[in-house]
Amino acid sequence: MGEPRGVSLYLHVPFCASKCAYCDFTSVVADPRAPVPPETLHYVASRLPEGADLGDAYVAALLAYLEEFVAEGVLADVPTIYVGGGTPTILGKRLVGLIEALRALPGVRGDAEVTLEANPDSLDAKLIEALLSVGVTRISLGVQSFDDDVLRLLGRRHDAGLAQGVAELLAESGARFSVDLMCGIPGQSLESWVETVSRAIETGAGHVSVYPLSIEEGTPMAARVERGELADPDPDEAATQMSAAAELMDAAGLVRYETASYSRPGEECVHNIRYWTGAPYLGVGPGAASMLSVALAKRTPLGARAVYSWPDDWRVRFTWHDSTEGFLACLWDCQPVGLEALTAEEASREDAMLGMRLAAGITDALAREAGVDDRLSPLAAQGLVEHVGGRWRTTHRGWLLGNEVFGAIWAGE
Amino acid sequence: MTTDPRHIRNFSIIAHIDHGKSTLADRILELTHTVEERDMVEQVLDSMDIERERGITIKAQAVRVMYDASDGQTYQLNLIDTPGHVDFTYEVSRSLEACEGVLLVVDAAQGVEAQTVANALMAMNAGLEIIPLINKIDLPAADPERVRHEIEEGLAIPADEAVLTSGKTGEGVLDALEAVIRRVPPPEGDAEAPLKALIFDSYFDEYRGVVALVRIVDGSVRKGLKIRMMATDTVTDVEEVGVRRPANTPVDELTVGEVGYLITGLKDPALVKVGDTITLAKHGATEPLPGYREVKPMVYTGLFPIDGDQYPDLRDALDKLKLNDPALVYEPESSHALGFGFRVGFLGLLHMEVVKERLEREFDLDLLATAPSVEYHAYLTDGSMLTLHSPQDMPDPAKLEHIEEPYLKATVLVPPDYVGAVMELSQNRRATFVNMQYLSPTTVEMHYEIPLSELIMDFFDQLKSRTKGYASLDYEYLGYRPGNLVKLDILLAGKPVDALSFIVHRDKAYDRGKVLTEKLRGIIPRQMFEVPIQAAIGGRILARETVRAKRKDVLAKCYGGDITRKRKLLEKQKKGKKRMKSIGSVEVPQEAFMAILKVDE
Repeated sequence: MGEPRGVSLYLHVPFCASKCAYCDFTSVVADPRAPVPPETLHYVASRLPEGADLGDAYVAALLAYLEEFVAEGVLADVPTIYVGGGTPTILGKRLVGLIEALRALPGVRGDAEVTLEANPDSLDAKLIEALLSVGVTRISLGVQSFDDDVLRLLGRRHDAGLAQGVAELLAESGARFSVDLMCGIPGQSLESWVETVSRAIETGAGHVSVYPLSIEEGTPMAARVERGELADPDPDEAATQMSAAAELMDAAGLVRYETASYSRPGEECVHNIRYWTGAPYLGVGPGAASMLSVALAKRTPLGARAVYSWPDDWRVRFTWHDSTEGFLACLWDCQPVGLEALTAEEASREDAMLGMRLAAGITDALAREAGVDDRLSPLAAQGLVEHVGGRWRTTHRGWLLGNEVFGAIWAGE
Repeated sequence: MTTDPRHIRNFSIIAHIDHGKSTLADRILELTHTVEERDMVEQVLDSMDIERERGITIKAQAVRVMYDASDGQTYQLNLIDTPGHVDFTYEVSRSLEACEGVLLVVDAAQGVEAQTVANALMAMNAGLEIIPLINKIDLPAADPERVRHEIEEGLAIPADEAVLTSGKTGEGVLDALEAVIRRVPPPEGDAEAPLKALIFDSYFDEYRGVVALVRIVDGSVRKGLKIRMMATDTVTDVEEVGVRRPANTPVDELTVGEVGYLITGLKDPALVKVGDTITLAKHGATEPLPGYREVKPMVYTGLFPIDGDQYPDLRDALDKLKLNDPALVYEPESSHALGFGFRVGFLGLLHMEVVKERLEREFDLDLLATAPSVEYHAYLTDGSMLTLHSPQDMPDPAKLEHIEEPYLKATVLVPPDYVGAVMELSQNRRATFVNMQYLSPTTVEMHYEIPLSELIMDFFDQLKSRTKGYASLDYEYLGYRPGNLVKLDILLAGKPVDALSFIVHRDKAYDRGKVLTEKLRGIIPRQMFEVPIQAAIGGRILARETVRAKRKDVLAKCYGGDITRKRKLLEKQKKGKKRMKSIGSVEVPQEAFMAILKVDE
């Protein structure tokens, strides 16, 4: 009994050359050329050739875990793959081997979308060519800004010139690529922001994403705000910048298909759309999250846990332990952690909430199924959502006040 | 077995807050083997959680200990632990009335403070023998000689025989008991006269009804007798008499001079009043003991359940609390902004805080309290007088002849360096300076007359912060005086919010209105639309601030790994909103209703 929609695959590469000032994702500052950690699981270590390093061991571990899922039939039909981080491109040519191996998995569709997250300082023409040749179909470039002052503040490793250069290489290669940007950065003027967006458009990227900076607890940036060295991001400025971006993209033919995502028609990120439409996904790597139907989860090593007793129409979400050493040292015993059940009702409510991130919105049928139609009408009265042609959609104002919309749908009021 | 009154000593321990009264009481219970060490919990006599946590005594207690004195005799000592806070002055005075002497505890490091003076005066007025105790001598900062000097200079109490003690180590505690036996006179009273028993506290026992704590002044009382509460003219049968050691221990009889409990079997605590006299129903005393008065609340506040469905629970909870706290008064109140709740009267701010905390903790209620107010007397042009417990009751200005407000006599004790700071604060609070005197080179006693409404506005915290914590405060009721008072309304989004209105002196109205609107701007979160905040008297706007509309409030990335975390954030956001009160369409956090108390000048 397979999943009709297939299961998307997310692979996490936690390594970074340095940590950005705002980042609270699961990542470790490590050089992939470091020696293989002695605690590495024998099953993985024994397959490594002479002279293998940490990066090789990590790739081997990812594949070892995947073999298990393949054996259990979880990956019988894989429509999209996303390799994110951390900084996947820090793995260099090891990444080429990984993509090759992924492509060779029996369940991966021939036309699967394979996205790779890349940082400008670890991507060059040679690597681009190699990656494209083994089947990467999309590259998401972490530019964040074309203003050097902003890049310094964010603690990025590249400057605007390098980002521009790598974007040009991508454009020349003919690859589909996305430029990822951040707005609402303390001290950034509207002029600087408009220039950043314009330069992103000029690279010829078929996809641009725009996220407002949020100061996350425990990051160096939060500490600077705490000490008063840095202003808290001004939500009004961020709103102005988000609106300015929307206008510039619209003029350039980049269509907003999700609150933070713009693309030329046909260049949407299918993998991400699946996150927002309740499609199942399997994440592998430290801190990676998965969401599977209970029926499917029972086939995984999770089946031995609480999942066993849950109804098949529920969903289960689980997260791997965020330790990279742990990921390398034990295949199953200590992971995954963060097991969470979504009842059928919660699952459809979550689908409704996430669906409202998309320009397409959600159908009346889903709103009813999720029991949120009576929560949507008051939002419409406030101009946050609209009801058009049998669908509920978020307005521009609603996207700026997303917490109001998503909060109302998920938690009521 | 009756104890010869000559072998009875009734005494109380009085002290400024935190000077170690309860710890000392613990040691006395321990050293007289009333409570064995293994059963010892800290502050045995403070039985409520809140009492123990805050280190305050709210209910009076009486415990009997038997002490084998150095003269070879065994004495019955009745220790009456009194509430230590100025809110409960009347209760303290009744407890003292049940004693012949007091241990006046003074912290060996802190020295004499305002409530030390107030308590000592009360004991003197009651004609009690005062034994000074310099406590906490184990502290590194202890300076018994300085404190001895302060007691003599400041209180005019001879202190050469002051007992040095440490409640912590137990040092000197037996010396204190010896001093009690030597210096506190045994009770006098007529064993043959008709019963006169002073009620100095009462509590409600779920199974046995109202239990009175009594001191037998004349005569005796035993189980089965018919007795009469003189002030409330209530007749009932004595179900049991006994003493507390500290567990209730029934005895056959309480005789002249003794202290104990008396189970009345009554179900209504209002019939058993602190200060009332119990006598026999037949052939009883004709005159009650002097000093009884009705306890009147000083401070009023509106208590509203955040969730309107909890209104009946709040009523039940207040009914239950009142059983053990007859001073609590309340009546239903309804507010446009807050819905149904109660206007509750308290003895003072501490009493208010304690009651609110108990309601929330013991009855699991989420409550919103409006800013405290006092009882105003509004004299109308038709010659009648209205008592106002809430700003909402303020009559139409056209019908108003004048208003009077309660004043207090306040005493502040402070080191000379801070006299200026106290003067400045007091001036801001409409206080009239009466006089000041040096109790010692390090302590000045300042006297003021101050409107109660000003004192409940964060006065104590301000006093503490402006004197680096050195000042201590005591006050007593003075009387009603006319004042040029007006009702100040706060409007949110153009609509007056009754629960935010307050009564203020006309000269202060502009400043308070301005500061309060500024404060509210900081407290009320940005909403989906612009919210003007205005302060007004009648139709005249005094101050205006604006909470700008919220433009952006978005989640950052929301891919597979972020979804659970974002969902939790949304749930937290919802919980935060639930803690707020929707007024019209404006979400107002609870602290907004108390903001008026925090208007620093």
